[in-house]
Amino acid sequence: MADLRLEHLSKRIGGHSVTHDVSLSVPDGAFCVFVGPSGCGKSTLLRLIAGLEEASAGRILVGGRDVTQVPAWDRDLAMVFQSYALYPHMTVRDNIAFALRSARRPEPEVAAKVAEAARILQLDSLLDRKPAQLSGGQRQRVAIGRAIVKQPKLFLFDEPLSNLDAELRVHMRLELARLHRQLGTTIVYVTHDQVEAMTLATQIVVLRDGRVEQVGSPLQLYDAPDNLFVAGFIGSPKMNLLAATRQGDRLVLPGCGGQSVPLPPLAALPAEGVPLHLGLRPQAISATGAQSLDLVIEVVEHLGSETLVHARAPGSAELVTALVTGGRTLSPGQPFTAGFGTAALYLFDPTGQRLR
Amino acid sequence: MTNRRENAILAAPLVLFLLAILGFPTVLALVYGVSDTSFQTLTSPEFSGLANFRQVLADPTFWQAAWFSLRFGAITAVLQCALGLALAVYLAPLVRLHGWTVAILIIPMIVAPAMMGLMYRLVLHEFAGPLPHYLYQWLGWSPAFLSPAHVFKTVVVAETLQWTPFAFLLFLTAYQSIPEDLREAAAVDGTRPWRRFWTIELPLMLPTVWVALFIRFIDGFRVFDNIYTLVGAGPGGSTTSMSIYIYETFLRRGEIGKAMAAAILLFVTAFLALALAQRLTRKAAR
Repeated sequence: MADLRLEHLSKRIGGHSVTHDVSLSVPDGAFCVFVGPSGCGKSTLLRLIAGLEEASAGRILVGGRDVTQVPAWDRDLAMVFQSYALYPHMTVRDNIAFALRSARRPEPEVAAKVAEAARILQLDSLLDRKPAQLSGGQRQRVAIGRAIVKQPKLFLFDEPLSNLDAELRVHMRLELARLHRQLGTTIVYVTHDQVEAMTLATQIVVLRDGRVEQVGSPLQLYDAPDNLFVAGFIGSPKMNLLAATRQGDRLVLPGCGGQSVPLPPLAALPAEGVPLHLGLRPQAISATGAQSLDLVIEVVEHLGSETLVHARAPGSAELVTALVTGGRTLSPGQPFTAGFGTAALYLFDPTGQRLR
Repeated sequence: MTNRRENAILAAPLVLFLLAILGFPTVLALVYGVSDTSFQTLTSPEFSGLANFRQVLADPTFWQAAWFSLRFGAITAVLQCALGLALAVYLAPLVRLHGWTVAILIIPMIVAPAMMGLMYRLVLHEFAGPLPHYLYQWLGWSPAFLSPAHVFKTVVVAETLQWTPFAFLLFLTAYQSIPEDLREAAAVDGTRPWRRFWTIELPLMLPTVWVALFIRFIDGFRVFDNIYTLVGAGPGGSTTSMSIYIYETFLRRGEIGKAMAAAILLFVTAFLALALAQRLTRKAAR
């Protein structure tokens, strides 16, 4: 168990910057998720921590020890790969025991720890099989088993659930959350799926183009996104982002037929006429509300207890999505009044920074 | 049923071709093998039962040749595979960056073995060869490469130098086909490169190792051209391989029946070895 600190970490490949001056502190016992679209450098960052890539600049500290120049095999970490990377010529038992045998632990200890890991992951009946004889979910569990027997300082997970089908993914997500509670080891986890990030993390790091966009707990990021990118990336369905300009104490929405809403409470007013972005979460919209936009329903998606409504002002460009409870009688073509409170509005300046 | 007929029809041309190309000489070899034949009586062989086989098995030169071939095949196969494996693993990073280096490394394979033998004959010649010449000049001493005491080592080295690239090529392909994330997983699991080779890479390359050992053994066992052009049957028959024994019996001594009997014995041995090796590799793969 250890905390992780990254200090001004950079990685350049052939003059191209893959991760750029990343500084980050992951407390001991945290479940830290790196999330971002593909190509944002999250996997590279993980591989830098694992020692599979060499840092171009900066430092990596695990439990206070500077491991930047330490080879992967001396870092005392464990990693679960996207492909699982099970050793195909070994049985499940030997796969799980591999790290312990590499560390030359005595054989009775190895056997005991393998049995313990197998019990935690319900792999007891599969120990004598080869990886080729396992299903995707079982291979996933073996890969996790291989990581936990080591009792490493840090667990690294590289998109571990992306090769599983939807049902199994939800199941393994719960298993991972349970495992983290049970073991208490610090986890660094990479995914492009913001739902995984929201459900698993105690700390989310949103990355874009090799830079950290925002760090915080899932609800911090959801409630108080720092910028347009985080606002659009975190939360499902996505936050509505509408073009807006200030006129007096109101915001005019040209994409919604020129309707206007009052300004949310701000410390400093943006200049009039500057193109702004107004954010409004689909969950914040309901039939009632102090403020409202008059729209016409275009598509209705019934989810059972809730309904996703996609609507726009007549003859306007921007589609507004609302997640409303009930809504069984809604149908396309009906007028829809999207109600909300001013507190639910987020305002972003032209560069995408949040105005508070 | 139609499926079987279709298979038969489709396979027929190949079977006929093989029968024509291989079958006729095989039948001829079998006929001569059980006949008393010389160049004078080629068209009217006289049946002599297993006399030729008895003669071959009683011939100490045959056993000497068999022992030579066995030793030569085994030693060169092991040397080539060990060297080829070491080279493949050591050079893999270089080859990944500069693929063309492989072309240079496999040049020896492209040279005709008979040419190779002649080349070594020139290079190693006791009086005219450059290698002994310079050894004498620099060290005042040179081994007699082609003398009875050293000739076996010389031909083993010559064969190994020529065919190591073949093993290298097989192992390079096998090494490169090991998924990179297995190596990375082993590294993060705390395994140093040396141990990683023995526990992950070598086991995954083992099927290729068996195949390479087998191919190189068979090739070494029936070696002919490079040894024959280098030293012939060798001083005191010391480099007489099975193939050279058959050739000499057939053409030098004109004992056609005996040569055929030896050829049949060689074929049967090779076939048994192949069957055994196949069973072993299949077991290893499982």
